[in-house]
Amino acid sequence: MRFVLRRLGFFVVTLWAAVTLNFLIPRLMPGNAALAMMSRYKGRIQPQAMHALEIAFGIHTHQSLPAAYFTYLGNIARGHFGISLTFFPDAVSHQVLQALPWTLGLVGLTTVIAFLLGTLIGLVAAWRRGGFLDGALPPIFVITSAFPYFWLALLAIWFFSIKLGWVPESGGYDVTTTIGWSWTFIGDVLRHSILPAFTILITSIGGWILTMRNNTISVLAEDYVRMARAKGLKPWRIMWTYAGRNAILPNLAGFAMSLGFVVSGAILVEFVFNYPGVGWMFLQSVENQDYALMQALFLLLTVAVLVAILVADGATALLDPRTRDSS
Amino acid sequence: MTATVEPTTATSGPDPPLAEARRGFGADLWRAVARNRKALAGLVLLVFFLVLAVFPGQIAPHDPQAESYLPGLGPSSHHWFGTTAYGQDVLSQLIWGTRQSVVIAFAVGGLATVLAVLIGVSAAYLGGVADGLLSLLTDVLLVIPIFPLIIVIAAYEKNSGLFTLVIVLGALGWSYGARQLRSQTLSLRTRDFLESARVRGERKLYVIVFEILPTMTSLIVATFLGGALYAVLAAAGLQFIGLGDPSSQSWGTMLYWAENNEALGANMVLWAIMPGICVAGLGAAFALLNYAFDEISNPALRMRRLDRTIRGSSKGDRVDVSVDPERILEVRGLTVAYASDEGPVVAVERVDFDVNRGEFLGIVGESGCGKSTLLYAITRLLGPPFAGEIMEGQIVFQGRDMVALTERQLRHIRWREFSVVMQSAMNALNPVLTIAAQMRDVCKTHSNMTAKEIEERSKEVLRLVSIDPIHLHSYPHQLSGGMRQRAMIAMALLFTPDLIVMDEPTSALDVVGQRSLMVQIKELQKRLGFAVVFVTHDMSLVSHFSDRLLVMYAAHVAEFGKTRQLFDQPRHPYTRALLEAFPSIRGPRVHLLGIPGSPPDLARPPAGCRFSPRCPHVMARCRSAQPPLFDVDGDLVRCILYEKGAAPDATLATASEGAV
Ligand code: SF4
Repeated sequence: MRFVLRRLGFFVVTLWAAVTLNFLIPRLMPGNAALAMMSRYKGRIQPQAMHALEIAFGIHTHQSLPAAYFTYLGNIARGHFGISLTFFPDAVSHQVLQALPWTLGLVGLTTVIAFLLGTLIGLVAAWRRGGFLDGALPPIFVITSAFPYFWLALLAIWFFSIKLGWVPESGGYDVTTTIGWSWTFIGDVLRHSILPAFTILITSIGGWILTMRNNTISVLAEDYVRMARAKGLKPWRIMWTYAGRNAILPNLAGFAMSLGFVVSGAILVEFVFNYPGVGWMFLQSVENQDYALMQALFLLLTVAVLVAILVADGATALLDPRTRDSS
Repeated sequence: MTATVEPTTATSGPDPPLAEARRGFGADLWRAVARNRKALAGLVLLVFFLVLAVFPGQIAPHDPQAESYLPGLGPSSHHWFGTTAYGQDVLSQLIWGTRQSVVIAFAVGGLATVLAVLIGVSAAYLGGVADGLLSLLTDVLLVIPIFPLIIVIAAYEKNSGLFTLVIVLGALGWSYGARQLRSQTLSLRTRDFLESARVRGERKLYVIVFEILPTMTSLIVATFLGGALYAVLAAAGLQFIGLGDPSSQSWGTMLYWAENNEALGANMVLWAIMPGICVAGLGAAFALLNYAFDEISNPALRMRRLDRTIRGSSKGDRVDVSVDPERILEVRGLTVAYASDEGPVVAVERVDFDVNRGEFLGIVGESGCGKSTLLYAITRLLGPPFAGEIMEGQIVFQGRDMVALTERQLRHIRWREFSVVMQSAMNALNPVLTIAAQMRDVCKTHSNMTAKEIEERSKEVLRLVSIDPIHLHSYPHQLSGGMRQRAMIAMALLFTPDLIVMDEPTSALDVVGQRSLMVQIKELQKRLGFAVVFVTHDMSLVSHFSDRLLVMYAAHVAEFGKTRQLFDQPRHPYTRALLEAFPSIRGPRVHLLGIPGSPPDLARPPAGCRFSPRCPHVMARCRSAQPPLFDVDGDLVRCILYEKGAAPDATLATASEGAV
């Protein structure tokens, strides 16, 4: 129980830190980018909404810094992120919610698949120490881990879309199909997601494989694995319940660390593919100097990472009785 | 100088590779790098890019900015990688672009490393509230997605220069390293050498800089390399999406212009591909070095292969199986070697002994003498991480040669006929499974018992070692140290095997606990009739329990005989030294303070008698040839004092007076 509370506490603190950064950054940055943006709202939105924006970006506001800060916190807590410029006059919160499912479906699913698959491959590679997988994988994936995601995405588009014409080169779906729960539409969405998903998978799976392999090698040196051999257990049981279950624990912790990496890669992949998710929208908002939308999306990304970490924590607690008992 | 001040005597496991495992960075580092192919590849790549970054003007064939050629040219001898849509030479742009990436990598890596060291080490060293706050800051930063945050910052300050980029990336990228450095420092804080530095009254700062930091070289290097890799990728990404100075000379900017001109579609493929390859190349240099460092500092990750040339011929030969049913285990000429960086290390050499049904055999010696290796060899449990292998000899257990059995054949006799109890139950029990589950899996593997029968049997063996069966469904960490140790013994009793091999099963306990566990083991042995092979460094511990004792020194049998006889009349000078090192079983647990020096490095054993460098009775002759085992009244002694015709008792009595 204490464990859950502690993790939730951490969740709140981090979220608060992200909101505060959001509040401080426009105030700390020199230049009048925000000012230029504000002028574009002039006369188009209601004074009250205008005021909220002024507080968010620290312009024309006569409130003291602490007062502005608390007003801002209040606005965020109620989900008032302002009006989007890019999608005027739609509310930012509404736009964000539209982008979310696309990213969850593409990045979320792909990341989970990459994690599970990578962990499995890493486990088997370490188990067959000195075998083919173990010898070939580490050098390959050490090098691919240094590949820029977006560049691979470019190459993938060039080769599979432009040269071979197998898959569409951009977008989340074909604009000519009607959106809905029809097989045509679902098929179309899948077709559009193959290439970006593949790019994310290729670039992120290496990290999981390598860490899982190294974890497993350390775990294989543990006394309890030797004990399992002494007990004459079947090899696959030793691999799963003795080596694997213990080696995945640090990998789950590493999952939390590496998510930031995955998220940044995914943003660029969405950008390259014009995929209508959070990352693409995020960069659109940057391009259009739509700061209200941009900051809301930044918060959303933080929350997404935090939620994923909570899930990883939950999995850890499920697999490791020591976490459950520790206070 | 007395050697074993550090409590290393308590470590288990085959010792030689362990001892060298975490030692010596610095001077050896260079050799290690030169030997590691990944490190070499990384180094070569890095040097390549460094040269490009320093001398672009000398190397680049053209002016990178001059739009003086035909746009969109393909590769030719004049323009290796073609030209851009603006008629610039791609190769020259690539070469000039190197500098920025290299500067960013080193600046960010350096900044992040300095911050990580400052914050991580001081958090650990200060402790208390300061630690709490710094750790929280570290954790929060670790989780906030840095790249989007940088985008947010860059969005307010478009065309932000190199400097801003470096500061932001560095200021945000230290958290991972700081976290690891903190925990490493924490684990070091209690180490002996730091304690002694503190006792000597050295200043904190001095301790940190000169005592703590050098031990963390590998972590610090990893932080730097990780930061540099991240910086290269992040900078390229930012510039690619147009959040950099579009007029700057960099790979990311090249990609930005290439993408804006649809270079891939418009047949200016190399314009878009080459900058990415450069980014990947420089990144790979850091990634490879990072990975190689991991391997160098963690030897378990490296594969060592055993040089087979020293293998003898008798391994696996059919034995003239002794039909004596009383002789449950017979070890003949057993030799075990490890692969090490310095070549094969023989940790057990031509060892012979036997165990009778129901007998209690003690194997004693300091750590590093090969006794744990011997134990894992006779149970056929050698294997990763120490690539130990039986090179020669036979292990006849209940009529079969264990050396010749396959893993599959071994599985069938494991735990039913012989079981193992390890030094620390904390490490030997699977931490994520309940005791019940760990008993169940072995029962299911070797029998057709139903779930209910298994539960009953598990409770029964727990009762045998006087643990209340309500603990059956506990996890190992929920039990006390003594209980865990008993639970492991209970597990070994599940099938009432004929032999139980024990590796210092009491060393994790205090004196009282040790004593009561020994009594219990002995009682169980009397009741159930199994034989015990008991390995320990503490000779006095087994004095009242073992029937015979095997004293090991430097991979050899030093002395082998009846326990009583060895205690009353120890013959080998090493046995005597061991006995003197443990004055009494009732006294506090002392480590082997009494024997000057330490066991030899088995990679370079001394010539002649292996105990000669430490032996108080050493003679010139001792150093010339290895003494064989002499039979003295049924007691086997490897010492030339007992050569036929010598007058051992007199020699020893006079010699020992001056020596000890
Ligand atoms: S052989 Fe010589 S050096 Fe070795 S134990 Fe005997 S007296 Fe000592």
